[in-house]
Amino acid sequence: MPRRDVSIAVVGSGGDGVVTLGDLVAQAAAKEGLHVIKTEAYGPQIRGGESSCAVRLAAHEIAAPADAVDVLVVFRWADFARFRGEIQVGHDALVAYEAAEERPDVAALGLRGDENIHWRPVPFAEASRAATGGTGSKNIVALGMLGELLGLPAETLRGAMERRFSKKPGLAESNGRAFEAGRELAAAAGAFAERRLSYAPSAPRLLMSGNEAVAIGALHAGCRFFAGYPITPSSEILHFLAEWMPRAGGSVLQTEDELAAIGAVIGGSFAGVKSMTATSGPGLSLMTEMLGLASMAEVPVVIVNVQRGGPSTGNPTKSEQSDLLQCLYGTHGDAPRVVLACSDVEDAFHATVDAFNISEEFQVPVLLLSDQAVGQRKETVSPGSFEHEVRERLAPTAEELEDYERYRDTASGVSPMSVPGMKKGMYQTNGLEHDTEGRPDSLYLTHETMNAKRYRKMWPIRDRYHSFRRFGPDTADVGILCWGSSMGPVQEAVAAANARGERVAAFVPRMLYPFPKRDFEAFVSGVGQLLIIELSYTAQYYKYLRTFLDLPPGRTHVLKRSGGKDLTAGEVADGIERTRALPAREAVAV
Amino acid sequence: MSATVELPTFEPADYKSDLKPVWCAGCGDFGALASLHRAMAKLQLEPWNTVVVSGIGCSSRLPGYVETFGFNGVHGRALTLASGVKIARPELNVIAVGGDGDGIAIGGNHFLHAARRNLDIAYFMMDNEIYGLTKGQAAPTTPAGDKTKSTYWGNPEPSVDPCELAISFGATWVGRGFSGDPKTLVDLMTRAMEHRGFAFLNVVSPCVTWRGDDQFRTIKAKLVALPPDHDASESFY
Repeated sequence: MPRRDVSIAVVGSGGDGVVTLGDLVAQAAAKEGLHVIKTEAYGPQIRGGESSCAVRLAAHEIAAPADAVDVLVVFRWADFARFRGEIQVGHDALVAYEAAEERPDVAALGLRGDENIHWRPVPFAEASRAATGGTGSKNIVALGMLGELLGLPAETLRGAMERRFSKKPGLAESNGRAFEAGRELAAAAGAFAERRLSYAPSAPRLLMSGNEAVAIGALHAGCRFFAGYPITPSSEILHFLAEWMPRAGGSVLQTEDELAAIGAVIGGSFAGVKSMTATSGPGLSLMTEMLGLASMAEVPVVIVNVQRGGPSTGNPTKSEQSDLLQCLYGTHGDAPRVVLACSDVEDAFHATVDAFNISEEFQVPVLLLSDQAVGQRKETVSPGSFEHEVRERLAPTAEELEDYERYRDTASGVSPMSVPGMKKGMYQTNGLEHDTEGRPDSLYLTHETMNAKRYRKMWPIRDRYHSFRRFGPDTADVGILCWGSSMGPVQEAVAAANARGERVAAFVPRMLYPFPKRDFEAFVSGVGQLLIIELSYTAQYYKYLRTFLDLPPGRTHVLKRSGGKDLTAGEVADGIERTRALPAREAVAV
Repeated sequence: MSATVELPTFEPADYKSDLKPVWCAGCGDFGALASLHRAMAKLQLEPWNTVVVSGIGCSSRLPGYVETFGFNGVHGRALTLASGVKIARPELNVIAVGGDGDGIAIGGNHFLHAARRNLDIAYFMMDNEIYGLTKGQAAPTTPAGDKTKSTYWGNPEPSVDPCELAISFGATWVGRGFSGDPKTLVDLMTRAMEHRGFAFLNVVSPCVTWRGDDQFRTIKAKLVALPPDHDASESFY
C-alpha cells in the first residue's frame, strides 16, 4: 500500500558515503516538494568511524524525525551495533544489508522482535565493483535501489547527484553506472513497491540545517562581523559565514579560542557593526567571562550555543539540553542577558533575527540556545518563510550629542549608543562599574542605580518579544511544558493524542529569560496535569520553572533523561500515558 | 617657493581627558601617558576616529585618561577587543594598551595571534615587572630570584623578554622604550602608530611602589639605544 510518510536510515563506516546518500535522497525529495527531515549521527572518529543518517520523507508537514524507520540500509553490522538502542525499525520494516556480511542475531542488534522485519541481503559492494571497478560507489548503488523503492523519479535523483558532484565531473559516468545497478537490484527484488511514497509533486522546498538557518538569520538581521572558534556541533555556522559574510560585505575571524571570539565580537559591536559568535558548551564556558563584560558595558552581541552532551568534553556529536542553567546564570555578578531557544530549523532563522533585534535595541547580550538536533539536522522550509522585521540600535540625536552621556539613566534603561566616528560621542566604556559617563565608580549608590538601569530593560524586552508556540486545545487534561528541540516530538505526540480524542496541549517558549510569566501562567491554569519534558539528567528546565511558577502540587510530572539520542514522539506518548494514569503526586526530580 | 605653515589642529592637551589618574605618585605610567598624548598630536589623530582599548591592571586604566573612544575591558583580553574593532571598522586608529601580566600571562595567547595576524594595531605594553594593582605579586617579567608578595623565598621562575616574544610571534614592528626617556618614547610611539601592521612597543615603566624607588635610576643606567644601522632581521635568527 502506498504511504504518505516513509523513513529510511543508512548505517556504515565513515568512508561509505552514508551521509552523502542521505543528502541525495533528502535533496531529491525536497525538489519534489516533499517535507523532509534528515538527521545524522556519528562516532567521535574523524574518518572511518561509524556513521548513520536517517531521512523522513512525507507528503504532509512533519515536526520530528520518525521514531522508527521503514527501510534500513546496513553496510556493516559492526557499525550498526555501535548505535545500539538509537535506531529502531518499525513494524513491517525492510532491512537491506550488505550481502557479503553475515547477519548477527537480532537480540544482539538491540532491535525488537524480528517477526515483522523483512531481511534482505543486497550485494551493494559487488554491484558497485561490477559497475565501477571498486566498492566506493555502494552508496550510489543504494541510492538507485532506494529511489525505486520509494518511487522517487530517477531524473530528480540524477539531478541531485549532478549538483553534489559538480566539482568532480570524473565521477559522473561511474556514478551513473552504479546508480543504474542499484535500480536493477530493486527491480530484481520485486516486492519493494509496497514502500512507495504517494505524493503529488509540488514546488521545490528549501533544504537546510538549523546551523545554516542561524547563519542566514544573522545575515538577514544585518550582522556583518562573525568571530568564532571551531567546535562541534556549531562549526557549520562558521563555515557558512566564511563563504557568505564577505559576499555581504562583512568579515569573519577564526579566533585562537572562544575568549578571543567573544572579545572580538564585543569589539566589533562597540565599533558599531552588528556582531555574532557561535559555539557549543565548552566554548560557552570560556565565553562566560566576557558575557559579563557585554552585560556590564551594555554592548549588543549575539552568542549562539549549539548544545551537545556535557559536562566537559561530553558527547560532542550528540544532542542534549543541559546548558540551560549555564546560559541563564553563567558568569559572576548580576549580569543581565536574554536567553532565547529555537525549536526547529525555520525557528532558528526567526530566533536569530529576534536575538539581534533584542540585542541591538536594548544593548544587551543575547544567548540563543540551539542544539545538535536542530543545528545539524536538515529540514525542508518554504522559501517564503524567511521574512522578519529588522530593528536597529538607538543612536544619539544631534541634541543628545551636545551633552552626551553614554550611560544616561533613562526611563527605559536604554541609553543612546554612539559609535567611533561621532565627534561629540566620545566615551570610555568599562567592565568596571561606572557612572553615566562610563567612568569607573565604586560607590554603592552608583552600583545600585546602574544595576537597576541595566535590569529595567528586561521587562520591555519580555513584553515585546515573548513569542511562544502552543499546541492542542485551549483547555486540556494534560499540558506539556518543553523547550527547544523537544518541541518536534511533543508536537507530533500531542497531535496524535488529540486525534485519539485525548485532550493534550503543549507550550513551547522561544523566550526563556526574561521569563514570560503571564504566558506560562495562562497555559498552566488551563490544563489539568502538567508534564515537563527535557533532555537533562538533573531536570534543569523543571528547576528553572519552579523559580518562577507555582507548579500545581500533586499534578506535575517530569519526563527527563540524558541526551545522547533524540527525544521521540513515542517517549512523549508514554509520558502522556503515565501522567494520565498515575495518581496525582508531587513532582520528583533528581 | 612660498613657505606654508601648517598649524596643528590638535595639541597634546587635546588628547588629555579631565579624569585624574589613579596611579601612585612617581609611577612610570605618567610618562607613558604624556608621551602618548604627544605622539597622538604628532600624528594629528582625530580623537573621534581613534579607539584606545585595554585590559585590566594599573596601566589598563589609561583609556580613561585619553580623550578618544575608549574601552577598558577585562583582564588579558584587550587585543581580542581591539581586533574586533579593527576588523569591523578598519578605518579607525586602534591602540591597545596594558601591562606585562595582562599581555603575557593571562593574555599571552592573544598576543601571539594578534601579532601573527598582523592587524593594523599599535600595542603598547607598560612593563613594570610586577602585578601592581593587586599589590605586588610576581609577573612573567619579574626577574628570577626576586622576592615579591607571592614569592616569599624568591621567584623560582625565569622571566621572559616581551620583545623577544613579539619578534618570535612575527610582529612586524617591535620596539622598546622607557617612560623616563619621554623624547625617545614619543618617537617610538609615533613610529609604532604609523606602522601599517601589528606594532609592539615594550614601554619599560617602573613601579615605584612595589619594585622600589631606585628603579628609574637603575634602568636609566642600563639604557642603550640601538644604533641607527641596526638590522632588525639579524636580531635572533
